[in-house]
Amino acid sequence: MDTRRLSVPATDDGVRIVLDAVAALMATHGLSKAVTWPVEVSLDEVLANVVHHGLEGRGAESAVEVELGLDPAAEPPLCEVVVVDDGPEFDPLSALAPDTSLGVEDRPIGGLGIALVRKLMDEVEYERRDGRNRLRLARRLVPMEA
Amino acid sequence: MQIDEEQAGAALVIAPAGRLDSVSSSELEKLVVSRIEGGERRLVIDLAGVEYISSAGLRVLLLAAKRLKEPPSALVLCGMGPGVRTVLELAGFLPLFAVEPGREQAIARLGGAALA
Repeated sequence: MDTRRLSVPATDDGVRIVLDAVAALMATHGLSKAVTWPVEVSLDEVLANVVHHGLEGRGAESAVEVELGLDPAAEPPLCEVVVVDDGPEFDPLSALAPDTSLGVEDRPIGGLGIALVRKLMDEVEYERRDGRNRLRLARRLVPMEA
Repeated sequence: MQIDEEQAGAALVIAPAGRLDSVSSSELEKLVVSRIEGGERRLVIDLAGVEYISSAGLRVLLLAAKRLKEPPSALVLCGMGPGVRTVLELAGFLPLFAVEPGREQAIARLGGAALA
């Protein structure tokens, strides 16, 4: 397992650092976007949630800890991501799934992120531990079609 | 993020490249909104150069669709790779948009009819 640990500010810059890091980790092991994009999209959704909602207004003073784990030798390769923040208790998995049957006019903007994460990842687990939110995501890196 | 533009008859093609994520999507949003406010009524958004799209990018596409809903305004998406298409499908977005495989077809779809 190739593991990278990052601690980044809860800002857009922090999100960018993590997305760059996961892209670099995947590229190091020769994994193509065709199999890595679901993890990258999910990580963006989770971090955007933390930065824009959970830690809103606290930005640069608050850190988000991210652990990126990749087992490139597994068949298929396995990726596991843990995101920890010290914002107020919030279980993103408790949010209601959006109604994806509505037309353009009625479709609310937003609310889709976590629903996407649930569909893109094999495993999503939330835990409140030591006063912090801890979200663990895992996916086997195989191509995905809806 | 890099965003290319091409005027093709009555249509304006906007082609973002790289990740359409929660950080970069605001750049695309600013450009799309400014072009619509500047009078563009027929937009093609060419996603061929997009590595992946998250809900922040979907939000920009939905915003553009809402602003270009009344004919003769129109929005056509094209150039979707498998990952981008999968995200639109999972989000239930595909039925909301006119979609063409490539830029040529998208332009033809918008430019074929006379301006109302």
